[in-house]
Amino acid sequence: MSSGKLSHSVAMILKALSLGYQFGFEIMEVTGLPSGTVYPALRRLERDGLVSSQWEAEAEAFEEQRPARRYYELTKVGKEAEMAATQRYPLLARLVPEKLGKTL
Amino acid sequence: MSPRKSEAESEIEDLDVPVVALRQEVRGICGRVLPFAARLTPAQRRNEWLREWRAELWCLQHGGRRVRWDHDVMSAASLAYGMMADAAWLGFDAALAKRRGTASACLWVLAAWCLVCAGLERMMMGSWTVFWSVLETHFLNGYIFIAAPAIFASAATNPVRPPRCEGTHRRGWLTTKARWNLFLWAKVALTLALGFFACMAATAPLRMEIGRWADWVEMPLFAVTVTAGLRWALLNQEQRCQTCLRMLKQPTRLGPPSYNFLEWSGMELACSDGHGQLHVPEMRGSWCWYDLWVERESGSETVERIA
Ligand SMILES: [Zn+2]
Repeated sequence: MSSGKLSHSVAMILKALSLGYQFGFEIMEVTGLPSGTVYPALRRLERDGLVSSQWEAEAEAFEEQRPARRYYELTKVGKEAEMAATQRYPLLARLVPEKLGKTL
Repeated sequence: MSPRKSEAESEIEDLDVPVVALRQEVRGICGRVLPFAARLTPAQRRNEWLREWRAELWCLQHGGRRVRWDHDVMSAASLAYGMMADAAWLGFDAALAKRRGTASACLWVLAAWCLVCAGLERMMMGSWTVFWSVLETHFLNGYIFIAAPAIFASAATNPVRPPRCEGTHRRGWLTTKARWNLFLWAKVALTLALGFFACMAATAPLRMEIGRWADWVEMPLFAVTVTAGLRWALLNQEQRCQTCLRMLKQPTRLGPPSYNFLEWSGMELACSDGHGQLHVPEMRGSWCWYDLWVERESGSETVERIA
């Protein structure tokens, strides 16, 4: 997936990931995008090598009394795509706020 | 409780993640959709997918900090739709990856393009009678006379090599050699048909304008499409795994080209299912006339020289 072909929704997801939002629900909350857009987009980005994922350590999740989450982060290619998307959609920075604290 | 439901529920209970109680109204929709959606995902990713979604649904119950998640039926329905879309995407992508590059996918794509071109021609002709009559005339009075020498020329300049695998291997009810031949002839037939329909569709507007004079454009076009199509079909056959007929992948350059006379150098392609590798020499010479197919069978390797 080249950065030139990124849709606005995908650009928002990349922006959210670059700001430290790590999993589907968190991204849905901060971008306001529906789950039907966020989850398939995350799969596609992972398949195309823009995003990688890993499971949270069980001990960490157990400490917070919740199931372990699958965390997503941008790869090197993903970061480049995110920068290109930010240039293409300058308003992205205003649409997706900085992450202030940890989501429950 | 139906047996189907109990099976789906037991699928979730098998997971090592503790079952999380969802809010009543959300559970009504999402809880029922989750096992059903899970069936759309590929089997090897199903448990992981369920585990991820259970963790996501936990967040729904406990809420986020920035935006209040409305625990109403519409939100639950939207999430259930997302769940289905996610599962369907995974299932579709896995099915597509499984079919990509296979012999059947190649034949289906060629057949689909034939239908598209024939459909275009039919639309421009206006009626089935005119359509069949035009096809018959141009096929018998033009295409056959052009295609026959073009087929001969293509075969002569790029000889069809026999399959490089053992003909005795059996995949399904046909031997690998029979499948190799069947696929080649089906592909050649569909390529020729596509060439014919594509030329007919491309020259239809011209035919309607200038009548039989359009033959002067049509005939050379037939010759070019048949020659190019057949060369593609033969080359495509060479770039497939000789066992499963899937397109070979991962092209890797081997050896320094500057040592061509001292050492083997060229390109290596591999079957993604691990049936073997194709070695394509950089320079053909008396020591290496053809590509080498290295077949990997039950842990042992046999090198066959193509001849
Ligand atoms: Zn194979």
